[in-house]
Amino acid sequence: MRWMLPLLAVFTLLSGCASSRVEQVREASTGINHGEALVLLGRASYNDKQTEESFTDCIAAALSRGDDPIRLIPPKQFKDEFYPWFEPRTAPTSADELGRLFAQPGVRERINEARVRYLAWIDGDTVTIDSGGSMSCTISTFGGGCFGITYWEEDASYEASIWDLQSMTSTGQISADATGTSYLAGLIVPIPIPARPDNAACQGLANQLREFILGEG
Amino acid sequence: MISACTTSVVVEGTVPTPLVTRIPARVGVFYTEDFRNFRYQEEIRDAGTWDIDLGSQNLSFFRNLTEALFTSVEEVPEPTFTAEEMGDLDGIMIPSIEKYGFLTPSISGLKFYSASIEYRIVMHDKSGKKIGDWNIIGYGKSEGGVFSRDEAINEATVLAIRDGGARIAIELIDRPSVQAWLREVHGMAGQTEGAGL
Repeated sequence: MRWMLPLLAVFTLLSGCASSRVEQVREASTGINHGEALVLLGRASYNDKQTEESFTDCIAAALSRGDDPIRLIPPKQFKDEFYPWFEPRTAPTSADELGRLFAQPGVRERINEARVRYLAWIDGDTVTIDSGGSMSCTISTFGGGCFGITYWEEDASYEASIWDLQSMTSTGQISADATGTSYLAGLIVPIPIPARPDNAACQGLANQLREFILGEG
Repeated sequence: MISACTTSVVVEGTVPTPLVTRIPARVGVFYTEDFRNFRYQEEIRDAGTWDIDLGSQNLSFFRNLTEALFTSVEEVPEPTFTAEEMGDLDGIMIPSIEKYGFLTPSISGLKFYSASIEYRIVMHDKSGKKIGDWNIIGYGKSEGGVFSRDEAINEATVLAIRDGGARIAIELIDRPSVQAWLREVHGMAGQTEGAGL
């Protein structure tokens, strides 16, 4: 089994990692009072792209824990309560449209009742930009196994647009980009070494969004 | 052998009540048997046979939608158009499903399951004259990796019904022929009343 040691060393060096960059543009001052809530909504479109639900769930989980948790209203509950105004084809596309939306009977009252202060639209997705390598698996009466290595590079690119529903204005945008290469190494059994750039983008965006909403950014 | 390759989906989901301005009219709604029991079957190469039962979810969604859209709603057993049969009703609405379709990731090459549903809404006034005849298409899609394939088609179909319903809820009142009908009903400019939320 000694012959496996160099291979193990190579696989250890190949451990997946992701690099990320977070940028922020502030248009107005922010802050949130006790009891006020944030709603995170993923942008959906009818082309081949859509913000994954798992990504908004990841940001929601990160924001609702820690020393300064932010009260969140689940997107499904929010969309049901404000149906039909936040469906993919009817939702406002800019903060300028909030005035017209709030003029609809009952909308302003429900926003106040639920104490929704901010709405953050999450737009973006994770795509595979490169892949390669090869792996072959064999099975015989004497046993079997996989040998080789495959890799795939992913790019996670997301942007949060934050609207203040009290002032009905856009307060800023935060973007997070992360790239990472994952590996599947075959050493008798296939060993996945994921880089998870989407997770890196989620953590970066969530941390910055928290600071932004709390008014520390 | 065939049943082993059939994916059966009974569409289920939430039925939100629209938060919209109520149209000030008393309307009779006629749901055809096809609408009440709508079922879609398709055999797809490499994806087997699909049997999708939309009827129940679609009917409860439309009942909720129409209740929120008009001042009062009464289900009628047939599309009656004589003045005597209409009674207190100001008009009749007849919704139907013209087309339904879906795509799986293996067909579209995308990460999503998607569904579309084309509704046809026909409305008649008290005298039986047609107010309008509109086709409205709803779209929905769901992530392929999150759900099993039957759950993904269910989710995409529920979203397509919601999308179609959202357009009906928002756009119906703004149709010029509906505004003209309301002027006839009330003898004044198409006024609306609060949604009574």
